[in-house]
Formats: sequence, structure tokens, C-alpha cells
Amino acid sequence: MPSTKTEQMVMASLKARHRKEQSFKLLGIAAIIMALFFLVTLMTSILSKGLPGFFQYYVTLEVELERERLDPAGDLSDQSLFDGQAKKIIQEAVLAKTGAKKRNEKKAARKLVSNGSDLRLISFVQANPELLNSRQSVKFALDDDADSYFRGFVKKQTPEKQRRLSDLQIAYLDQMQADGLVSYEISDYLFFGSASRNAEMAGIKGAAIGSLLTLVVCFVIAFPIGVATAVYLEEFAPKNKITELIEININNLAAVPSVVFGILGLAIFINIFGMPRSIPLVGGMVLALMTLPTIIISSRAAIKAVPPSIRDGALGVGASKVQATMHHVVPLAIPGMLTGTIIGMAQALGETAPLLMIGMVAFIVDIPGGVTDPGTVLPVQIFMWADFAERMFIQKTSSAIIILLLFLIVMNGGAIWLRKKLERRW
Amino acid sequence: MLELGEVIVNCADVSVFYGDTRAINNISIDIEKQSITAFIGPSGCGKSTFLRTINRMNDTIDSCRIEGRVKVDGEDIYAPSVDVVPLRAKVGMVFQKPNPFPKSIYENVAYGPKIHGLSNNKNHLDEIVEKALTRAGLWAEVKDRLHDSGTGLSGGQQQRLCIARTIAVEPQIILMDEPCSALDPIATSKIEALMSELSAEYTIIIVTHSMQQAARVSKRTAFFHLGDLIEYDSTDTIFTNPKEQKTEDYITGRFG
Ligand SMILES: Nc1ncnc2c1ncn2[C@@H]1O[C@H](COP(=O)(O)OP(=O)(O)O)[C@@H](O)[C@H]1O
Ligand SMILES: [Mg+2]
Repeated sequence: MPSTKTEQMVMASLKARHRKEQSFKLLGIAAIIMALFFLVTLMTSILSKGLPGFFQYYVTLEVELERERLDPAGDLSDQSLFDGQAKKIIQEAVLAKTGAKKRNEKKAARKLVSNGSDLRLISFVQANPELLNSRQSVKFALDDDADSYFRGFVKKQTPEKQRRLSDLQIAYLDQMQADGLVSYEISDYLFFGSASRNAEMAGIKGAAIGSLLTLVVCFVIAFPIGVATAVYLEEFAPKNKITELIEININNLAAVPSVVFGILGLAIFINIFGMPRSIPLVGGMVLALMTLPTIIISSRAAIKAVPPSIRDGALGVGASKVQATMHHVVPLAIPGMLTGTIIGMAQALGETAPLLMIGMVAFIVDIPGGVTDPGTVLPVQIFMWADFAERMFIQKTSSAIIILLLFLIVMNGGAIWLRKKLERRW
Repeated sequence: MLELGEVIVNCADVSVFYGDTRAINNISIDIEKQSITAFIGPSGCGKSTFLRTINRMNDTIDSCRIEGRVKVDGEDIYAPSVDVVPLRAKVGMVFQKPNPFPKSIYENVAYGPKIHGLSNNKNHLDEIVEKALTRAGLWAEVKDRLHDSGTGLSGGQQQRLCIARTIAVEPQIILMDEPCSALDPIATSKIEALMSELSAEYTIIIVTHSMQQAARVSKRTAFFHLGDLIEYDSTDTIFTNPKEQKTEDYITGRFG
């Protein structure tokens, strides 16, 4: 039983305190449930749309690999194969399979196989020249409308005028499927294809490589500059009005909308320095500007977290300021600096707006071979695909989002791993 | 008047300011070579601040400003031409909280000799490390794990490692700022024994809040109060027959 006066008063107020604690706890749980709900909704939506995008429908056709027609110059060079009649040979195979005779029938049948199939046949021939002058089964992608039919997005019940496939085309497709020629497989175009207006051929390879190149440029520029700035400001700069002003500006820059950095890049790198548009080099430079404040702020925090006693220890045995910093402070701060950098880079990886400003939104079919080749990046590719009307682009957009998310997860995982590996206790 | 042997540190009218506040008021003091001098006084009276003027560690504090003259070995250490690097190699420091580098025991001790280029080959460096650890009374305990982390040692061992790190660069003076305040009595007595041994070769100036410690180890004692040097005499005189009322009040426990 409560004996003292204080104890009695404490007991009296205890109930209200418990109640408050309880409601606070409930509030927190509710917030977490809300957040989880949104996360699950988002993930389900992306996964349910995106996972089918990793697959597409292919048709296996028997093609006659006549050497004279495929490779007129006879040297298997790109030029010779492009001059050949790969397209015609595939069309003949389709016509033979479907038995289309009349002009409108032929036209309908030809449209069922992807436009880019000739390239696939050419690379098949280049990879297997010994198969020339024989009859081979080769797999080709179906056109995206045919693909949509097999996915059930084009329905027979819909009046013929209102769907993108005619009754005849549907009949041909049904026949191919009945013959066991149609297969649903992992889409190689998605991973190894480049930008294309044909939904069934479009892929992320070019954009992924563009993203990689851009990030490399961003890291190479932003990390050394950011770390050097942080070290200077923390360890060497006199504390006066000027450094205070610089500090405030850096903190504010971290909150500037990214598109502003794009405009800055456009004005300085492209208009003043005359660098080309659309190249990963400029993209990386713009993203470096954007990431710098994040890197500087996190690096400074990492340096601040190094106990002053370590500096004293080094200075006490006669290390110079630079030695104390380089031998002791920076090595201890590196894990924190890298974590901040990777988080900044992950942000940069997902950035679209500033890259639109410097023209990385151009439609580029070639895969960039270096930082000065025109290219685009994953988020911009997603942004462009999301704008296209074809059914298949919707799935590919979601697939690309999943791939982008995987990139981000890998980068964040890398940050955690690095921190765990490099972290030392003192 | 206090009779001193050869003087190694000579301070004249030293005042130290943090911004506008004065932490040390016009202190003049001479420190005898190769002996132990203790600075005692209530906390906040400026013992650490004054100690740190002797190796210019106060330079690292932006707001800190020093007036007066400090001579080490006859050289004015605040003269514009003086570089703090050789000064701190000559005047080493051991801190209140043991602060070994988060590196191996070996590297902790080898760091000073390395940056000062005291050794140009591995064998010689090994010798320096062994000698320093031996003199710090730590060799027997760590010789089998020189490449383990220095931060894995016990508090007392860490502090002796810091002493080894300091003496590895062969300083003339060792400043110790409450080196035992974070240690247990056994570790403390080890460090005290070590100090007595080291005082044959080195000049040691120790700040301590423990009057018993000052009485046990030091030959001279300086009593500080509110930034003033109240009394400086042989330790015996300070503890048995102080001239100033304040000193007597402090050592008899009437304030502090
Ligand atoms: N870095 C600093 N900045 C401002 N004032 C300080 C600083 N260090 C110490 N002081 C002040 O100087 C006075 C003396 O401190 P200090 O030398 O640490 O005393 P002690 O070591 O005797 O306890 C105290 O009033 C303290 O508040
Ligand atoms: Mg102190």
C-alpha cells in the first residue's frame, strides 16, 4: 500500500500516464500499418504488372536458309546479310505455315511476326554459318498485338472493327498454337534489346548501360570532391562568416529540386562549354552536382563522429594536422562517407528530371559504348515507355521498374555490406 | 623560496583566454628537469589549460589565445618560427581518457617513430616498439599479441600503451592530464610506479585531482585556483606546511 504522500500522488497519476502511453503506442502501430499497406499495394501492383513483362510469346518457324538469298556477297559480313532477303524468307515461312494465299490474307499473316525478326535471323546465321543451305526451326518473337491476344487482352467476342487483330489473324494464331509452335518464354528482348518503337523488341540494355556509365561519371566526380570538401570544412577551414555561408549554402543545395541542377547543366556544360547533348558524361556531371551536397553532409557527419581523442592522440605524438587527418580521421570516417555516397548515388540512379533537361530523353537505338556516346538511363526509359500506347509497353514499363528497384536494392545492400565490413569500433 | 635544479620549462606571465574569458591569470613558473611536478587544484581552475600551453595543444581550440612567454629548453615555443611538430615530439602528452588508435598495439607504438622518420628499417622499428613497451611496463603482457587491436586492452593497459606511444618518440617532457582518473586503484598504482621510474630520464608534469597521488609521486607541487597559481613549492612543504591559507583549506579538504 502506498505509504508516503509522494507515492500516493504517483499512484493517482499512474492511470492517466498508462492511458497516454497506450494511445501513443496505438497511434504508432496504426501509422506502421498504413505505411505497410501502401507498400504492399505498390509492390503487388508493380509485380503483378511487371512479372508478365519479363516473358513474351515466340513462334517457331521453319525457315529455308538459302545461302544466295541470305548472303548475296557470300562473306557473311553485316553488309551482305543486310542486303540479303532475311525478311522475305521469314515472311515466306509464315505464309507457308498459315497457308495464306490471297493478297489480304498474306498481308494479315505477315503482320503476326515481329518486325525485327530479320535481325534475329541474321544473327542466327552469323552464329551458325554451317547451317546455311538447310531447313531450320528458328524462334521469332510474335508481334505485340499477337502477344496481347495470347495474353487475353484481345478478345474474340469484341467486334472485329474494334480490335487490332482481324478474325483471319486470330484464326492464324489459333492454328499456330494448335500446331504447338507458340511458346511463352523469358523475354530476351527485354534484357538484351535496346530502345525500339516495336513493343515486342524494346529492351533496357541500352538504358541500363547508360545508367551505369552515368553513375560511374557521377561517382568519379562527386566522391573525391565531396570528401575533400567535407574534410576541409570539418578539419581545416577557419570558423568564420565565409565558411558559415558556404555551410548554409551546401545544406540548402541538398534541398534544391533536381530539375534545377538539370537547367544548370544545360546552361553551363552544354550552352557555355559546348558539350554535346544526351551523353552520359554530361548526365553524370549533372548528377554529381546534385549528389555533392548529400555526400558532403554525410561525410561531415562521419568525420564529426570520429572521437576528438583520436585526433589529440595523433597530434600529441607530433603528427601534423594533415597527418592526423589522413592517417586517423579519414580512415575511421570512410565507412560513413561511403554509405552516404551510395545513398546519394542511389538517388541519382532514380533521377529523371535533370536528365530530361540535358536531352538524355532522345530516342537512341544504339547501345552507348562510352561516356561520350549518346544514351539514356533507366528511369528516363521508363518515363518514355510509360508514354507509349501499346499494351506490351505497360508490362515492360513495370518490368523496367522492377529492374530499377533491384538495382537500388543491390546498391543499398552494398552500402550496408560496406559499412559492416569497414566499420571499426574505438 | 623554492630551490630548483636545472630548469627545462620556463613560463613568464602566461595568460590564457577562451574567447573573452580568462582561464589563466599571469602565471609564472619554472619546471625542474627530470623530476615529477604535480598540478593540483579544484576542477575548472585551469590545470589542463595550463598544461596544454606547454606543448601548444591549445592551438587546436579556435577560441583559445595565449599571452606571455613559454620557454622549453630555452626556446620560446610561441615564437612565430616554431613548428608544433618537433615541439610535440619533444613534449609528449598522455590524456585523461586512454585514447589508443583503433589499430594494432604495434602500430600504436610505431606511429610516432614512423611519422618522424626515427627508423628506416623494420628491425629497428621493432626494437623501438619493444623498448617503448618495455619501459611502459607492458611488454610482458602484450608481446604475444602485438598485432591485436590496442582498443581491446583493459583501461590500465590502454593507458600504459598510450605512455609507450609517447615515449617511443623519445620526448624530453611528458605531460599527463589526470592519467589515472579513469582507472581502478591497481592500474593506478602501476602507472604511478611507472612514472617514478620514468622520471629518471624524463621530465613529467602531471595534473591530478587526487592529492594523495600528488603526494605519492611528485617532487614539486603547484596549487592552482580560479586560474591563479596560488602556491608552488616542494611537495612536502605544500602538504605539511603550506604558506597560503587557500592551499591549506584545499589540502585539508575544506573546499574542492
Ligand atoms: N575549449 C574550451 N572552451 C572554452 N572554455 C574552456 C575550454 N576548455 C576549458 N574551458 C574553461 O577554462 C577553465 C579551465 O578549464 P580546465 O583547464 O579544463 O580546468 P581543469 O583541468 O583544472 O579542471 C574552465 O572554466 C573551463 O570552463
Ligand atoms: Mg582538466
